[in-house]
Amino acid sequence: MTKEFTCIVCPNGCQITAQWDGSRVGEISGALCPRGAAYVSQELTAPKRNIATSVRVQGGVLPLASVRLTAPIPKEAIFPALQQIQQLTLTAPVEAGTVILRGLLGYDSDVIVTRGCEKA
Amino acid sequence: MKQPKQIDAVIVGGGPAGLAAAVALFDHGIENIIILEREAQLGGILRQCIHDGFGLTRFSQTLSGPEYAQRFIDAVEKRRIPYLLKASVLEVSADKTVTAATRDGLMQWKAGAVILTMGCRERTRGALAIPGDRPAGVFTAGVVQAYINLYNRMPGKEVVILGSGDIGMIMARRLTLEGAHVLGVFEVQPYPSGLPRNIQQCLLDFDIPLHLSHTVTQIHGKSRLTGVTISQVDDKMQPIPGTETFYPCDTLVLSVGLIPENELTIDAGAVLDSRTKGADVDENYQTSVPGIFAAGNVLHVHDLVDFVSLEAERLAASVAVYLREHQLPCCPIPVIPGDGIGHVIPQHISGQRDVSLSLRVNRPFENAAIVVRQQGRALCRKPLRKIAPAQMLELTVKAQQIAPEQALEVSVE
Amino acid sequence: MEEAYDVLIVGGGVIGSAIAREMSRYQLKIGVLEKNLDVCYETSGRNSAVVHGGFAYDPGTLKARLCVEGNRMMDQLSSELDFAFRRCGKVLVGNTPQDLETLKKTIQQGEENGATGLELIDEQQLHQLVPAVVGKFAMYSKNSGIMDPFGFTIALAENAHANGVDYFFDHKVTGICRADGRYRVSTEKGDFYSRWVVNAAGLGCKEISDLLGITGYRVIGSKGDYLVLDERTGKLLPMPVYPVPSNTYMGIHVTSTIDGNVTVGPNAETVTDFTDYGVPQRNMDFLAESASQLWPHIRKADYIRNYSGILPKWVDENGVIQDFKIEIRDDIAPNAINLVGIESPGLTAAVPIARYAISLMAQREKLIENPRFSPLRKGIVRLRGKSDEEKAALIAQNPDYGELICRCEQVSKAEILQAIHNPLGVHTMVGIKYRTRSMMGRCQGGYCQMRIAQLLEQELGLKETEILYARQGSQLFAGKVREEAEG
Repeated sequence: MTKEFTCIVCPNGCQITAQWDGSRVGEISGALCPRGAAYVSQELTAPKRNIATSVRVQGGVLPLASVRLTAPIPKEAIFPALQQIQQLTLTAPVEAGTVILRGLLGYDSDVIVTRGCEKA
Repeated sequence: MKQPKQIDAVIVGGGPAGLAAAVALFDHGIENIIILEREAQLGGILRQCIHDGFGLTRFSQTLSGPEYAQRFIDAVEKRRIPYLLKASVLEVSADKTVTAATRDGLMQWKAGAVILTMGCRERTRGALAIPGDRPAGVFTAGVVQAYINLYNRMPGKEVVILGSGDIGMIMARRLTLEGAHVLGVFEVQPYPSGLPRNIQQCLLDFDIPLHLSHTVTQIHGKSRLTGVTISQVDDKMQPIPGTETFYPCDTLVLSVGLIPENELTIDAGAVLDSRTKGADVDENYQTSVPGIFAAGNVLHVHDLVDFVSLEAERLAASVAVYLREHQLPCCPIPVIPGDGIGHVIPQHISGQRDVSLSLRVNRPFENAAIVVRQQGRALCRKPLRKIAPAQMLELTVKAQQIAPEQALEVSVE
Repeated sequence: MEEAYDVLIVGGGVIGSAIAREMSRYQLKIGVLEKNLDVCYETSGRNSAVVHGGFAYDPGTLKARLCVEGNRMMDQLSSELDFAFRRCGKVLVGNTPQDLETLKKTIQQGEENGATGLELIDEQQLHQLVPAVVGKFAMYSKNSGIMDPFGFTIALAENAHANGVDYFFDHKVTGICRADGRYRVSTEKGDFYSRWVVNAAGLGCKEISDLLGITGYRVIGSKGDYLVLDERTGKLLPMPVYPVPSNTYMGIHVTSTIDGNVTVGPNAETVTDFTDYGVPQRNMDFLAESASQLWPHIRKADYIRNYSGILPKWVDENGVIQDFKIEIRDDIAPNAINLVGIESPGLTAAVPIARYAISLMAQREKLIENPRFSPLRKGIVRLRGKSDEEKAALIAQNPDYGELICRCEQVSKAEILQAIHNPLGVHTMVGIKYRTRSMMGRCQGGYCQMRIAQLLEQELGLKETEILYARQGSQLFAGKVREEAEG
């Protein structure tokens, strides 16, 4: 059957159609670049997403540091992953770029600080 | 009060445009400059944009807002470009005197050039004139973003979002991730105003419905918001009687447009463009007041920060020439938005050099082309499969194509 | 332990606060019971903010007399109490021969009332005063003016408080009962006892009058909606512009505000719900359309917000609007000053109304002067509007003046902190707004609201769920995103 997608890789947001028989990806069309085909293949087989959220900080100028994942994780793992990240507490100062949790939920993805926080 | 300090350039605002302008100016050899930022940190609005998707064009990788900003902050620090934090500019005068309030006193600079990079603000409920009560619980999307991502405050639990702007959709996802229930995103236009990828990754991914041609027609609740009435609208965007539906909610998030923050620009005497709500500029990003320049969201609202940085760097190149030669080539040729075009930047060009036009269409088109003409003669044509108002477009017109004196008209064909 | 007062005033609006302030000139223990969380949430803060000349009311009425007195007094009040007032004048613009007749009669009536500075002007003179206005001639009232109604009401209340008056917010009166020569006034938060009671309840005047046993008043609500335009429009309007009035209604006007905005309104609708301040779409459209015939600068791009106010009007059985009622009914409710139907020009006439009410009391009880009374009150010193030198001096004195919280209205942290620690102990977001003008500008708090909420939490030790926008139950936040870590 034919499936339609909006590519999320870049702001172009290509409308991509793909043939899919339930287990194998067939012809893919509509993407302006090769990343579109890769996205659609992943979307059909094992969709993944990155997430951005916050972690509480003790003794900082702000109450929160922002974080993201170093690699996308399966879509269905988003809420369990958030639950785990919500448990974390950092102590100021926190530097941007610091990995605060490796191998989130056993995936090959780390939680990394994107906005640090100076000591109050 | 002390005498004003003499300085080559004052940059008003330390967000993405101001940072990029400062770094580029420094690299062009203009080092006697200062960035004035009213916040306690540099970075502007990017500090609260913790989602990813920034920098794909510029750095070929997708970064969060704070990371994108940090690359420019690092560049500023590395060059030891001076900046003042918690400095609110009160006035920019036509003679390029800049007055700012700081905790250390009222400060003044007499600048060779002033670079306006103040960004934009959000359109509010009052500006939309949404009828009904005035309870707590009605927020603009950017305010919700700041509360959640910077201040650790949860604005509400049952949420309706009006407007399909990108920030609104991004906040729909963010609120959902933090345990709120987003009942839907309602857009008065028959097409979404944000980018397609955000519809997918912020709404569809989380089963949040998007209702086009709908708007809020009544706000309910005398203390805290208790609900909103939503109506379908006709093709003139007027509510259709009988389509009213009540949605119980405690929070209404407005993502209904951004307005360049030009109060200082107006006070300096610069002419504004009624379409962009930003300054009318020439190809050097110079406003109608000589020596005062503008770029970024204060000039026109951008879709991607990558283009803000680029625009600010082009501005810096012109400012460097202006400061060395005390003038810039005259720009007598107007650039006029024609059919299908929302706005074009710059509004005036010299015709002496290649120029990049930034523009938006005013409605969605399929299989069309953006064409630049001079008295009917096509100078440049960019065919596009799909064009939406959410996307900013850029196209370059070659100097050798441009005849002197006649206006350029850009339109969708 | 029960609190015993000499006077309890029900209602802390401009009338209740004016009475409190004027009564604090005497040796009396005074309390004010206010159902809202601040002093100008209702009619006192929701009006045109015009200081009226006194020409619009029938000769011999209290409205006419007290308005003229209030107008004359306003310069002195403004300097004593430090609130913004400008005697900018106003025009009533006409076009037809019938308009001209009405304006001539209005001048005559005004002069009979004791109003001065009224004259007919021609089109040329009109355009010298207000360049863009549309009209063939006008009545010019030189002594009319504009003021800050929040500032005035707050100033009266703060001055009263400084002279010993107790304010109780969130104290809705639920019962009044007279026994043993005194009144027991019940509220949801407990009972109060007093020798005297004053009904200054504004929109609640009928309920309180009924509780006093003075029944039979018919009070209707006349609701008016307004649009507020950006400060850029204020430069085009040096004074309020009104159409020629009818007998009962002043008409939709455009009003310059003391802070440089323009308001457009009001319409007049009779309402029964005195708490519904919603503004319907059709009314907004109607206001803009109607006022554009007077003044052509109303553009949707300049709308920054809308609001409405409700006037309590005492009407007879035929619905005809009556004069202010200010009375003591010794037969039914001795020692109770009953004020009913205090509507426009109540803002202008507030202090004369208070003095008139007190004169009724003084006919029944000797009032002894309070030697410690001071009529003076200082407001918050603003950064905005000062010269560069003055700004520099303010910042040098207090660095918080150098930190801007609200950029649209140029409000500094120093002003916000003074407002947070206001003498009346008000701590709602709207309370801070009324005291500083923060959040009133074109971004409507988009930039400063979060900073003000944070300062309220820090300065007063409030939890985020205790921050209220305006009324009881108007929580700004549902809680924290992440609970803060221990320690």
